Amino acid sequence: MEYIGEWTGIASFGQGLIALAFGASFVSLVAFLCGWKSVGRKAFYVHSISTFATIALIFALFGAHRYEFEYIWKHLNNEMPMRFIFSAFWGGQEGGFLLWMFWHNVLGLVLLRSDSKWHNAVLATVAAIELFLTSMLLGIYFGNFQLGLDPFLLLRDAPSNAGLPWTARADYLTAFPMFQDGQGLNPLLQNYWMTIHPPTLFLGFASTSIPFAYALAGLADRSDSSWMKPALRWSIFGIGILGTGILMGGAWAYEALSFGGFWAWDPVENSSLVPWLTLVAGAHLLLINRNRKKPMALFSTYYFLLISFLLVLYSTFLTKSGILGDTSVHSFVDSGILPQLLVYVLSFVALAHFMLLRLTAWKSAFGAILALLLLVAVKGYVVEAIGVFLLMLVVTSVKAYRSDFERTEEEESIWGREFWMFVGSLLFLVSAAHITWQTSLPVFNQFLEPLSPILAQWGESWNNQMLLDLSKHNLAPGTDLDQTYHLVQVPLAVLIMAVMGLAQWLKYKSTNMKTVAKNLFYATALSVVGTGALIWAYPFDWWELPRVALLFTALFAVFSNADYILRMARGKWKQWGSPVAHVGFGLVIFGAVLSTSQKDIISQNQIGDISTLNEELNNREDLLIMEGDTLSMGPYFVSYRDRYQEGIHVKFRMDYFDKAPHTYQPGDVVFFDGMVFEAKETHEASPQFSDDLEDHWMFIPFPNERQAKTAQLWKAGVPGNRLFTLEPRIQLNEQMGNAPEPDTKHWLHRDLYTHIKWGRVSPPETDEEGWMGGRTHTMQVGDSMLVGHTLMTIDSLRAVADTEKPERGLLQKDLAIAACVSLKNKERDTPHQPLYIVRDSTIIPDLYEAEAYGIKMRIETFDPQAETLEMTVWEHESVRRDFVVMQASIFPLINVLWLGCILMAIGTFMAVWARWKTDTKSRPHG
Amino acid sequence: MKRSHILSLLLVAALIGSFIATFTSTSRSVNFAEAMEFAGEECKVSGTLNTAFPVEYNPEVDPTKTVFHMFDATGASKRVVLNQPKPTGLENSESIDLYGSVVGEEFHATEMLMKCPSKYNENNHVLMGEDLQAED
Repeated sequence: MEYIGEWTGIASFGQGLIALAFGASFVSLVAFLCGWKSVGRKAFYVHSISTFATIALIFALFGAHRYEFEYIWKHLNNEMPMRFIFSAFWGGQEGGFLLWMFWHNVLGLVLLRSDSKWHNAVLATVAAIELFLTSMLLGIYFGNFQLGLDPFLLLRDAPSNAGLPWTARADYLTAFPMFQDGQGLNPLLQNYWMTIHPPTLFLGFASTSIPFAYALAGLADRSDSSWMKPALRWSIFGIGILGTGILMGGAWAYEALSFGGFWAWDPVENSSLVPWLTLVAGAHLLLINRNRKKPMALFSTYYFLLISFLLVLYSTFLTKSGILGDTSVHSFVDSGILPQLLVYVLSFVALAHFMLLRLTAWKSAFGAILALLLLVAVKGYVVEAIGVFLLMLVVTSVKAYRSDFERTEEEESIWGREFWMFVGSLLFLVSAAHITWQTSLPVFNQFLEPLSPILAQWGESWNNQMLLDLSKHNLAPGTDLDQTYHLVQVPLAVLIMAVMGLAQWLKYKSTNMKTVAKNLFYATALSVVGTGALIWAYPFDWWELPRVALLFTALFAVFSNADYILRMARGKWKQWGSPVAHVGFGLVIFGAVLSTSQKDIISQNQIGDISTLNEELNNREDLLIMEGDTLSMGPYFVSYRDRYQEGIHVKFRMDYFDKAPHTYQPGDVVFFDGMVFEAKETHEASPQFSDDLEDHWMFIPFPNERQAKTAQLWKAGVPGNRLFTLEPRIQLNEQMGNAPEPDTKHWLHRDLYTHIKWGRVSPPETDEEGWMGGRTHTMQVGDSMLVGHTLMTIDSLRAVADTEKPERGLLQKDLAIAACVSLKNKERDTPHQPLYIVRDSTIIPDLYEAEAYGIKMRIETFDPQAETLEMTVWEHESVRRDFVVMQASIFPLINVLWLGCILMAIGTFMAVWARWKTDTKSRPHG
Repeated sequence: MKRSHILSLLLVAALIGSFIATFTSTSRSVNFAEAMEFAGEECKVSGTLNTAFPVEYNPEVDPTKTVFHMFDATGASKRVVLNQPKPTGLENSESIDLYGSVVGEEFHATEMLMKCPSKYNENNHVLMGEDLQAED
């Protein structure tokens, strides 16, 4: 059958390009391994050109809105502005792989230009990685095993659509409206951060593969350490780019997502941070070893560079395989490529560990066991095989560490820079290991599962609760971030920052510590003063001691490195890289810790029915605000002016006013905390009532009528000038669900962050006459309730006298109770009497309407003993007031964090540039 | 003993220490029955919204209280009190993860994650239905 209007030719062409890219990378790999340089290069060019052509073709399909392609249909719709085409392109896994491949090819082409002895070995690794990446796009099925996701898959060929009736219609594209428009991109991704964050991050990911490739090349030829120079340049490049990419992700979360921060220790964030940590450690070990005749910590140098790339692969596996399931907000769902991703990760893990071994006998043993495990895995014992494989890795690493690397017998001086750089690297490793552990709990559960019966048995016989818990293989990350992450990460960071401040002033080999102590005097003094100022300015609790210590050492690292630039490297631009980057990293940590721990949530839930909830569950961070109302919030008054729709956004205009002090006159009566007070004299209110209580107020235990009538809630101030307006919004998306987006007011020293937790985006449901609500409330005599603008109070209950009955249309035999209800709003205050009627032991429903107020009510039940009644109340849409539930917080000094990011990026690039200059001077073909 | 050995030992100690230190804070994913056993302890329960009951959210009364019923993996249903404004899309959610603890007969959740049906599946669902009418 011929389908109408499909570009099937393009689909085949695109699949052809991918197949070509796949084949070419294979040829390139083999050629480089065999030493056929020019064949390898040509094949790599073919591979790169086909990859770039594939990417261009997909962009063209996006531009042409070709919805017969599944990938286009899933990530684009007719409304979406073309400026989000990039976000749409990498909105799915296929695009993500292509983006990764794009950078990988760019870097590969740069490496092709070099002419060193490492050329072939490095490019073989690059080609091998490309081979695996391209296989992710093949989209071939072998029985149940899916090899790759085809970006040119036609919608009607998608497995989930198999056998649906419409796929059998030749004219499906024109016959069904749903194929003339796509699904559109997740609203959260329609953001300019999503245009720049993923490319930066993926360039960072791609750049970790180059130190990896150099390390493998170095392992193959252990007599020559000249691979370290280019590897170091690329490592620092990777640190800069990956670090920037991660922090851009934070900036995106902060600006566009509404969880109220820039870092949430989400598994996806974590898994991109971990390779950065190990790469930093690896680069510092390279720095130590680059110029030494006798190497130091050589195994660790290799190992850190290797695992940085392996952890990038692991991160891809975690986020793209679906194994994280629901522990992460932004992981992908399982798309059927889990086995392939697993093979990808494990192949490179095996390769790296194989290369760590020096002796052929051990290498053969490694290969043999690996083959055996493969057999076991194919037989269906996958988890068991992987478990044994991981144990084998440990054995391999220990063996390689102990005997396969050149080591020096002499001890390093404890006062040499090398020693402290090494210590710093180990600290980074511990940090990385801990984060990986927390992130990997869903994976760990998979390994616990086959061990479950044994663990349960041991747990029972030893009566060990921990083993019993483990046997249930149901570990999940805790939600208390202080417990799960900060407990370990903060002390580590304290040490890292201290080492960073110290090591800059140490010399290689050995240093005179008296000079160092003298040099560090200014930095130490300044950080003591700075920390003192922080403790004075912010309310730290005693249990936050580690946090304060971290702020102290972060300041120390910043001052020490800045001082170093000023005194030691003045005018010597080439030495600026590392201290500038260190200042930047110190500022990142300082800004992150301070702005998060001293985040001040100024919105407070003031009217919540808190008594029904227990203490722990008491969320007081969100505030309900009615349209037109002005509420006190921290140092501001906030007013919800109105809302309006602009495109796909409903925007809520929140006006912020400054606080003008309120002056009380003698005789003014106020409520505070349920008690009544009268002012003794004229005074200006302090921010806290307790400050004024003793001097200016008199407690009134039994208020008289005047006092009771005039008493108002005590307030510290009155709204002054309007300062600014924030417009938090809700993005409308019928298919994906509406998404709130915050709006933030930025100052130099702090940010004010406002977002809508709940808001109505469409008019409420009403009946034909415009009545809405109809909720039943239980009320007691004396109770009040706000219905729209109107305050409704039950004043009393009384029996309807026989004489009244005729005029109310009641029969003499009826029993009737009247509730005396007063309705009060700005315009009027009137009494009303809805009735509760019993006739011949049946209840006659009596609907009472207070037209002037737009309120309808009906008494449902009545309890004379307790003087309570149940009443249903309706509100007319004409008197309805809109409201939102909002949250507002102040992030102090958050700009320090962003400044740190920029400095860190600048510093790393200065370092790359300086290394490039010196390396190419000493050896023309680095 | 060489300094490198001391460092390696410290490293291993730090690694083990950090795992154990945070192991106690690790929560468990359980079903409602198991959560009852550990009443008061934080745990994670996954499941789906029980649509037989309405989702109650009365912001005028309490803007940070949402009440609904959820089926856990075993099919047991329990009343859930979520200490948050009603998340958008709760009614259409495909699966829900709750973090919190059992208090009395209710599950009190402090945090909630949900997966909304990707539009893809939703439309597929539409496509399967008989209401698909071609514009012939």
